[in-house]
Amino acid sequence: MAGEIQIKNVSKAFVIRHNKADSLKSKFIGSFYQRYREEKETLWALRDVSFKISAGEAFGLVGRNGSGKSTLLKVIAGIYPPTKGKVELPNGSRVATMIELGVGFHPELTGKENVFLGASIHGLSRREIEDIYHRVVKFSELDEFMDTPVKNYSSGMHARLGFALAVNLNPDVLLVDEILAVGDEPFQHKCKKQIDKFRADGKTIVFVSHSSQDVKNICDRACVLNHGSLIFLGKADEAIERYHETLDFAHR
Amino acid sequence: MRSLLEYRELIRNLVVKDLKLKYRDSILGFLWSLANPLLLILVYSFVFGHILRGGPANFAYFLMVGILPWNFFAQSLMMSTGSILDNGSLIRKVALPMEVFPITTVLFNLAQFLLALVIFFPMSWLFFKVPVAWSWLNFFPIVVLQILFTLGLSFIFSTATVFFRDVRHFTEIFLTLLFWLTPIIYDAQLAPPLLKSVLYMNPFSYFILAYQDALYRNVFSSFEQWVVIMSLAVVFLAAGYMLFTACKSRFAEEA
Repeated sequence: MAGEIQIKNVSKAFVIRHNKADSLKSKFIGSFYQRYREEKETLWALRDVSFKISAGEAFGLVGRNGSGKSTLLKVIAGIYPPTKGKVELPNGSRVATMIELGVGFHPELTGKENVFLGASIHGLSRREIEDIYHRVVKFSELDEFMDTPVKNYSSGMHARLGFALAVNLNPDVLLVDEILAVGDEPFQHKCKKQIDKFRADGKTIVFVSHSSQDVKNICDRACVLNHGSLIFLGKADEAIERYHETLDFAHR
Repeated sequence: MRSLLEYRELIRNLVVKDLKLKYRDSILGFLWSLANPLLLILVYSFVFGHILRGGPANFAYFLMVGILPWNFFAQSLMMSTGSILDNGSLIRKVALPMEVFPITTVLFNLAQFLLALVIFFPMSWLFFKVPVAWSWLNFFPIVVLQILFTLGLSFIFSTATVFFRDVRHFTEIFLTLLFWLTPIIYDAQLAPPLLKSVLYMNPFSYFILAYQDALYRNVFSSFEQWVVIMSLAVVFLAAGYMLFTACKSRFAEEA
């Protein structure tokens, strides 16, 4: 079924390069002088993580900074390939990532040009973009600014246009990372209402947040990651409790 | 992830964006892109044609036939070194087929090449009274083969720059050298033996020779010449694409 996500034994290693040799010169010098040689260190951001997210579920990823939740989101999105294991999505599932609002917007282009560019970055055809355009404008409430270059927008307007576009991409799976932290209160309220609407429409949402309240309100289930390992999988409020325990443990 | 074909709207939008941004708010707009080849043609035809009193007949036209495709080639390669790297912030946040970036680079430069062409050629045909010839039709298959060849190299250069940042500087110097090793401002037949042996090792020479056959010498290139440029196009495109696909999963982390 479209929207179901299976995460099977996913591990992700990043190679941290000290003294990174990213030029031919430094490679060359490094082959003679130990002091300039690059040193590699492997950092496991995810360690053997497995679980399943059902279609239509709102699922939270919870954990401290550096616990691997954003990495997991990017692995699900297909931005990073997993080092081991795999993520399975049914064929034809449309995944939209909301890792940053207004990704790919160019400041010199107008609001309208940016909507067309931004939507095509997510793989929409011209027809599909024309279909959603009026909804994006209506949602953003930026009707009279669509012919203004985005560089003249306030940061709030920028975020509104970015969010309006993201929610109208009409995906089966929506991957959301910390974006609800931007914008003023009415805007945040609107975002949350839209997420509720997604849930009502039976779309899968994977949600990364530091806000325990948001996770409790939005998600059915959640998992807790700690140093890249899955330490809890279950109901959202229980996950938050478990998450707080890891925080307390760290404070002690 | 969806296929490259479904992202054709993105490719179109990126090319249009680059063209718009380049000429937005400038009065002469796209005419600026004609200034550079025009100046080169004037300077070379003056220096080599009048001061040194050499060069093939109808020298300015000869130069134009070589310089316009060269600019398309060289600017595509130069820009391709940044096609992945400069889009790093996008690649790290959205999953999309990364082939769109080198393709966009080549198409953006193709658009500029074609725009320059429709201005320069009709003008020079009138000005230099070049006789109309059937061989001109060969221009179109040569352009197609040049696009494939350039795209293959753009895949290679865009990938290489992700891992070795100095490829960018290397490319700049390399292209300056290559310009002189391509028979653009001199006739390959009249080149001294040493230069001759070097320029036939330069793959891009064969494209320029084909353009000169079609548009300047008004003859049909030999069968062997066609086989050479077709093979170059296919081999470089296949090699470039294979390298690109082998490395692209690492772009989001490295770029």
